[in-house]
Amino acid sequence: MMSKGKKFFQYAFLTIVSLLSVFPLYYMFCGATNKSTDVVAGRLYPGGYLVENFKSLIANQDLARALFNSFRNAIVLTFLALLICSIAGYGFEIYHDKGKDIVMTILLMAMMIPFAAIMIPLFRMFSTMKLTNTMTAVMLPSLSTPFLIMMFRQSARSFPHDMIEAARMDGLSEIGIFFRMFIPTMKSTYAAAMTITFMNAWNNYLWPKVILKTNESITMPMLVANLLGGYSVDYGMLMLGVFICTVPTAIVFFCLQKSFAEGITGSVK
Amino acid sequence: MKRKVIALLLASTMVLSMTACGGSGGDSGSSSGSTASSEGGGSGDNTLTVWTWDPNFNVYAIEKAAEIYAQDHEGFKVEVTEVLSDDIETNLTTAASAGDYSTLPDIFLMQDNSFQKYVANYPDIFTDLTDSGVDFSQFAEAKVAYSVVDGKNYGVPFDNGAVIAAYRTDYLEQAGFTIDDFTDITWSDFMEKAKVVKEKTGQPILTSQAGSPDLIMEMLQSCGASLFNEDGSVNIVGNDALKECMEIYVQMVEDGTLVEVTDWDQYVASLNNGTVASSINGCWIMASITAQEDQSGKWAITNMPRLERQENATNYSNNGGSSWAISSNCDNPELAMDFLNATFAGSTELYDDLLTAGTGAIATWSPAKESDVYAEPSEFFGGDAVNSKILGFSEQTPSNVTGPFYYDARNAVGTALSAITQQGADMDSEIEKAQDTVEFNMGG
Repeated sequence: MMSKGKKFFQYAFLTIVSLLSVFPLYYMFCGATNKSTDVVAGRLYPGGYLVENFKSLIANQDLARALFNSFRNAIVLTFLALLICSIAGYGFEIYHDKGKDIVMTILLMAMMIPFAAIMIPLFRMFSTMKLTNTMTAVMLPSLSTPFLIMMFRQSARSFPHDMIEAARMDGLSEIGIFFRMFIPTMKSTYAAAMTITFMNAWNNYLWPKVILKTNESITMPMLVANLLGGYSVDYGMLMLGVFICTVPTAIVFFCLQKSFAEGITGSVK
Repeated sequence: MKRKVIALLLASTMVLSMTACGGSGGDSGSSSGSTASSEGGGSGDNTLTVWTWDPNFNVYAIEKAAEIYAQDHEGFKVEVTEVLSDDIETNLTTAASAGDYSTLPDIFLMQDNSFQKYVANYPDIFTDLTDSGVDFSQFAEAKVAYSVVDGKNYGVPFDNGAVIAAYRTDYLEQAGFTIDDFTDITWSDFMEKAKVVKEKTGQPILTSQAGSPDLIMEMLQSCGASLFNEDGSVNIVGNDALKECMEIYVQMVEDGTLVEVTDWDQYVASLNNGTVASSINGCWIMASITAQEDQSGKWAITNMPRLERQENATNYSNNGGSSWAISSNCDNPELAMDFLNATFAGSTELYDDLLTAGTGAIATWSPAKESDVYAEPSEFFGGDAVNSKILGFSEQTPSNVTGPFYYDARNAVGTALSAITQQGADMDSEIEKAQDTVEFNMGG
């Protein structure tokens, strides 16, 4: 048993740390409801300027389109990436052989290459294929990522082979085993992968900015960046933009929080 | 049951990928529309594509210019894509490195300080504007110099970056001064008066973003000095002007009359919250100052102090500003040139509108000064006609060498400066280090 004093300090410590990590979010929210000059003055409580900030935000930027584009890109990308990477990860582990190990090693090595290094060749590739300004070009490079494949491979390792054997005996096809047995068992891994992919897709800035050149294809991170472009910055409006940009990822995370922790640690129920 | 599940999954995949295709189809549709118009060229085509940033400033300006131009040129319009300055530079680099210029717009805006670098590294991006019909002599000389490489013009100057010294007149009054006591003065005079202001009001006279040598660069240009020689070699060690600037800066930090703040937001905060008595910066800082409406009438604008040891010392300098460039991907460069010539290099109507609409964009085109709008007094700045005053400042600003490695040199000086003010490092050895850093970057 822990002594009371020890417990007190533990809680005190955790309270302080959680306050520290929640504070920026709170400050962002307050900023969104205050006038620019009040934000600069460091006002720490909510104000009544939210509506004005919102009005100037939609007058300044195409918020609806940015939200629509961001959601569309993130949802479609997450769905396809999860499907493709989980099939790949499953394949690497269940139909395991030496050749696949080598391929996997190469894939893992690809993880080490920073995006900035492949950006120019990628751009050239897509512009030769006449794919600039398309959603396909935004998504293709991150549709299959070594990290997700590795994650699914690791979790497939804990998937009992006996179950596969039994299912085969019962006459279930290989595709059937994947969709009927693997996916339902691996819910938490999918949840974790979904959170990560959604956040990455939502926050992606550099590549979309390079490949998309029209106002119509604006996404939320680009919108926030645009708010910072001027000689003078309207901080209230900026905070509101950041706030709107943060909310969806926060919701996704909170909804999948429990499964996320399980999926990352790789436990199977 | 299982078939149903599989069927459902496959169906939903299809639907989603179809929406994906649909979306991309729509996007490529709109983009092919714009490429068709930019590739179309010829006489019937009247649309120019533009990359620029800031809806309240540059975007507004180019759209207004298009509106004015369209009055005599029916059907003319611009298609503006909002791209940040840094992203324009990334996109230019990507396009040039990939050797594919087809994605570039017809016209783009470029920061003056980056101009030399991009023309030197990627000359194929730009269109030579020397014989475009633009009368460059009507612009402030130092402003034009930013976009001139090997005697050729590559940019049409746009907004003004002339340095102003904006003072809180109520603070000056408390210390027994008026704005005239700070006009046409030298730095040592300024430093002495700053001490009095500090003593009487408790406020420093200047704030500065730590590690960012904006002030040093402004001081350097005010005497036509630079961190580079004419031949492009680094001029940091043994540069007496630089040393004088740094000595002034360091001395003011020691006196407590210049306070270093952590970032740009803190700098703006010091102006808005009244914790500083003045700001010496590009004239665009006025937009941040006037954001605090309560301080209306408490500010006044004059020129900056001048150096003493330097021969060509003046009270005028520049910080920031940008110019329009025409890309090599432009299929109708004559139209683009004529458009820029008729508006940014020929329309007082445009520059008047930019002021009355509240964009804060001040011209560098001298004829704009003659208009009544420029002579209108500003209540915020104590009834002074600040706009024509600033345009006058920019005409007297000395030109200096920026060179392709401007930002490398600037960053190296910033590093040296913070090492001296914050860690008490020795000035001469830090200056030497800065020179080594820049030379290393240039060799690499």
